[in-house]
Amino acid sequence: MFTVSRYVLTQRLKRVKRYPLVLMLEPLFRCNLACAGCGKIQYPDHVLDKRLTPEQCWAAADECGAPIVSIPGGEPLIHPEMPTIVKGLVARKKYVYLCTNAILLERKLNDYQPSKYLTFSIHMDGLQEEHDLAVCRDGVYDVAVKAIKAALKRGFRVTTNTTLFDDANPERVRKFFDAMMELGVEGMMLSPGYSYEKAPDQKNFLKRHRTQELFSHILHNPKRGWRFNQSPLFLDFLMGKVDYQCTPWGNPTYNIFGWQKPCYLLQDGYATTFRELLDQTNWDGYGTGRNERCADCMVHCGYEASAVNDTFGSLRGFGRTVVTTLMPTAR
Amino acid sequence: MFRPSNDAERRQAVDVAFGYRGDVTLELATGEKIEGYIFNRNASASPPVLQLFPKKKQAGTRVVPYADIVTIAFTGEDTATGNSWETWVKKKESERKAEAEQVKADAQARGYL
Repeated sequence: MFTVSRYVLTQRLKRVKRYPLVLMLEPLFRCNLACAGCGKIQYPDHVLDKRLTPEQCWAAADECGAPIVSIPGGEPLIHPEMPTIVKGLVARKKYVYLCTNAILLERKLNDYQPSKYLTFSIHMDGLQEEHDLAVCRDGVYDVAVKAIKAALKRGFRVTTNTTLFDDANPERVRKFFDAMMELGVEGMMLSPGYSYEKAPDQKNFLKRHRTQELFSHILHNPKRGWRFNQSPLFLDFLMGKVDYQCTPWGNPTYNIFGWQKPCYLLQDGYATTFRELLDQTNWDGYGTGRNERCADCMVHCGYEASAVNDTFGSLRGFGRTVVTTLMPTAR
Repeated sequence: MFRPSNDAERRQAVDVAFGYRGDVTLELATGEKIEGYIFNRNASASPPVLQLFPKKKQAGTRVVPYADIVTIAFTGEDTATGNSWETWVKKKESERKAEAEQVKADAQARGYL
């Protein structure tokens, strides 16, 4: 929190117009699950076999300068050099969130060292029934819970990340929060699912008003023990209490194709350098009201940075952040 | 297969190929045929170019000027077809289990489980 605050304030003092907050580093797209509707794995085999090298990963982190590096995929633990990649990022004092479905986690724990800079962010889309359905394989929830317990016992930082779709049951989601807190995870991250442009099914992904309704039911009167690893203003945004425009440069994406334009979800092309991404992307052509593909998007990779900007951009935003942090049950 | 007859048609054809989630085969003016995945295109570059990962195992990417393209054929499987959430939910449980086992077996064979 202190590192991010100092970084954001420094950018604002320098009057930097567009700065990254989280580097979305995708070293591979190969996965050991095939979650229905996931647009990230829909490539031919020869593309799924490609990997970023550790040197490419570190260079991207150095070039971008974001204090936080999120490593999604694919399944990052499949990458044979992932421990080396993580070690290099931790040496650079980046806060690394290694996103994983945890299937391989318990087996690979010896390859990593606990550190305040390393968090395993476990993909968990709900209680057992919901999660196993979401990932299209029975038994994954139990494997993930076992891996979470093992990682926590070894002193690793562990959070969960949860994507919610049209069929989410608010009461079941609240029970899921209870279960994750009981497990002892440090915090939870939430996001509405995004309708991947190239995914053939557009019906089950959340429309904006439905997103706000769903999250209002889920997050209304939150329990004191729930801990979210997200800006409280982003949670307010999900509930429809505040409105933001997207900040796609806040979470730039680097993968085997290059620097993705304009964001983690849309793929309109690739830049060779981070500077080229910033300078040559038509940012005004994206966001709610500017692009039909952005109309219903409320995903954290575009709006968490907007919420952080609000915290540091106005007294009102700062005040609201303080209130919702100190009194989360006041929502 | 697209056989664009002018620059505008070529740009359109490349855009469609860029959005395709499978391999395409380009026939070039030299007679060469390249099969691969188009991951980037820049119609406003001078000259306009696309980038693809060739299917044949080799390092790096191939940059192809739009002007060199004679035909674009969609020769690879569309990896997005039939992989939607709705399709999954509509399948009978027996079909879902069979498909899940297939995915699991593939991951096991590759050593990813």
